[in-house]
Amino acid sequence: MPGKPLDPTAMARRAAQELTPGAVVALGPGIPCRLPGELPPNGGVWFLAESGVVGFQGLGVDLNVVDGSGEPVALLPGGSFTGVVNIAGILRGGHTNLAILQPAQVSASGDFVHWTTNATGATGTTNATGTTSATDGLFAPGSAVDMAFGASRVVAVMPHQGPAGQPNIVSQCSLPVDGVGCVDIIITDAAVIRVGPTGLELVEIAPGWTADEIIAITDAPLTLATNVKDMTFEVPELIPPNKVYATAIEALKDVPEGAVVNVDGFAGPGGMAHYLMVGLRDVGVKGLQLISNTAGIARMSAFGAPNIIDHSILVENNQVAKATASYPVSPSASRPSAFEEAYNRGETELEVVPQGTLAERLRSGGAGVAAFYTPTGVGTLLAEGKETRTIDGKEYVLEMGMRADFCIIRGHKADTLGNVVYKGTSRNFNPVMATTARITVVEVDEIVEPGQLGPEEIVTPGLFVDRIVLRPPDFSAYL
Amino acid sequence: MTSETENPPRQGKVFPSGLAALNGITDGASVLVAGFGGCGIPVKLLRGLAEIGVGNLTLICQGAWPQESGKFGIADLVAGGQVKKIISPLPFLPDNGGPVKELWEAGKLELEIVPQGILAERLRAGGAGIGGVFLPTGVGTRFAEGKEVRQFDGQDHIFEAALKADFALLRAQAADTLGNMVYQGSGRNWNPIMAMAAAVTIAEVDQVRERGGLDPELIITQAIFIDRLVLAS
Repeated sequence: MPGKPLDPTAMARRAAQELTPGAVVALGPGIPCRLPGELPPNGGVWFLAESGVVGFQGLGVDLNVVDGSGEPVALLPGGSFTGVVNIAGILRGGHTNLAILQPAQVSASGDFVHWTTNATGATGTTNATGTTSATDGLFAPGSAVDMAFGASRVVAVMPHQGPAGQPNIVSQCSLPVDGVGCVDIIITDAAVIRVGPTGLELVEIAPGWTADEIIAITDAPLTLATNVKDMTFEVPELIPPNKVYATAIEALKDVPEGAVVNVDGFAGPGGMAHYLMVGLRDVGVKGLQLISNTAGIARMSAFGAPNIIDHSILVENNQVAKATASYPVSPSASRPSAFEEAYNRGETELEVVPQGTLAERLRSGGAGVAAFYTPTGVGTLLAEGKETRTIDGKEYVLEMGMRADFCIIRGHKADTLGNVVYKGTSRNFNPVMATTARITVVEVDEIVEPGQLGPEEIVTPGLFVDRIVLRPPDFSAYL
Repeated sequence: MTSETENPPRQGKVFPSGLAALNGITDGASVLVAGFGGCGIPVKLLRGLAEIGVGNLTLICQGAWPQESGKFGIADLVAGGQVKKIISPLPFLPDNGGPVKELWEAGKLELEIVPQGILAERLRAGGAGIGGVFLPTGVGTRFAEGKEVRQFDGQDHIFEAALKADFALLRAQAADTLGNMVYQGSGRNWNPIMAMAAAVTIAEVDQVRERGGLDPELIITQAIFIDRLVLAS
């Protein structure tokens, strides 16, 4: 007589053991939506709801704050709201560490068939005639496909068998799949199974079950791990990682030689991360490839006082190998910028990109769009050598998404989780650049506690921000 | 599919009723409808569509599952025979098919199933003047069938075409008289992206404020995207 199947709460608690501090975690409908309620509400991970919520805990009461199942959830201090398109970008753009889904079937190679279920965790649904209507699920991919293809790792949490005793873990899916080779680990009401390169491996067993009993209810071939363990249900303590750095140099000292660095800002000194720029100069790393709206013209454009800090300090320190920019030259031909002079001496490379194309290439890079067709620049020098395509009678040019190693941005305020708000036009390229880099560093006027920035007010959710530094009130020491 | 045969009474962009705000919508129109679950649904405008009785509609939306009893929803338009096609990531719930499933099974309704992130990106492309995008989502599945596949950085991507519509029906918490808008919680959902992707954009709002009544740092949808406003009931 096999053991009793685990209840959905126990399955959710086991799934919580897959989380790591600071992880970005997408939850599909059904059992996965139980996870936030099992964890302490300390912002240790970022839960995403496909309805557009970032950072929530267990069940709430506000009908305007719902998870992917449409159930009300409680926003955490530091949680925020964003639209579905931004959620899609977070899923697809490499920002999501883990997707937790409740598929109807998972195959030996990690293919899966998804469909939504009710929150009780029952897979499959029963219509009036008493038969399971699995094919209904083919009409309900929701965001599951986006989650499965976007997340670094996919966890399936599901009953081992369907309501009629049919196996849910199968050699091959019996319905059209929603993802190919996507699932990495399967947590059921009886076992934990790893999806390996050569098939499924039983790694943990629920209380009261034996390996033979689990193999008997699994359609796919199952091998035993060398060290099969008992399933446990302790949830981990997830402390949010510290993001606040003491100085700009501390925050930038691991920028490698030749790094691609996004530098925010428009033209003038506003919205530019001056403190991080001097930090990058003082770190002294060479061969930088800057992506920026200008290549440093604030100093030449009579914006404000002399001794303005812009990209020129990096150029003059011989750190810049290339700039990708929309406005790389000084507006005054008689007063060239430091970058122009270096370019004219043959010391730097330059890639000129129209501003909207630059913004769109960055947005695409951050949102996991490999390439896009834009009408901008068709027939001009800027389209030379690029593919063109006529869509609905209009000609477009193919432009590539663009990503960076590091990004330095300038916010007005940040909370310690990394949520950022901006001020006026200093918003400029900051929010889009923040989505494109492996490591994003923000400099702000004020650092506050989570919950002190309004959830409707947050522009850059903290999941995009890795490091925070406080901007000094005075720069005389850095000139 | 619009016609501009009437000029209903209005003040600026603010229209006196849902019916007036829907002026010009005709049979065969494609309509974006915002909302996620019970959040951010333009109920008054949907009722207006029912009252006008316009047919053969193509609706692009999160889903058309039946609403709680007493609330009007997209499923009611479907039940009324006004809808030809739905483009959606979740047109009906597997355990609650409602009229959408019934009419689809009877061959009276077309369904185009698009994963949510792909649909959002196609609308964003439409609204931002992008002709199409290459996405990694859905490679090797039924969602990639018949579509161009191309490799970037050694990974397969699928070409997805931009999507636009004739009308967008939105729901916001507040607007100013110019049409700048803010949302509440998950009510934001599809609204900002749909606002950009239609020829005529109509928003149903809880409050209309004077110019300057919304904080410029908090505005999510700029007035340039909004053509018509109507107060929610």
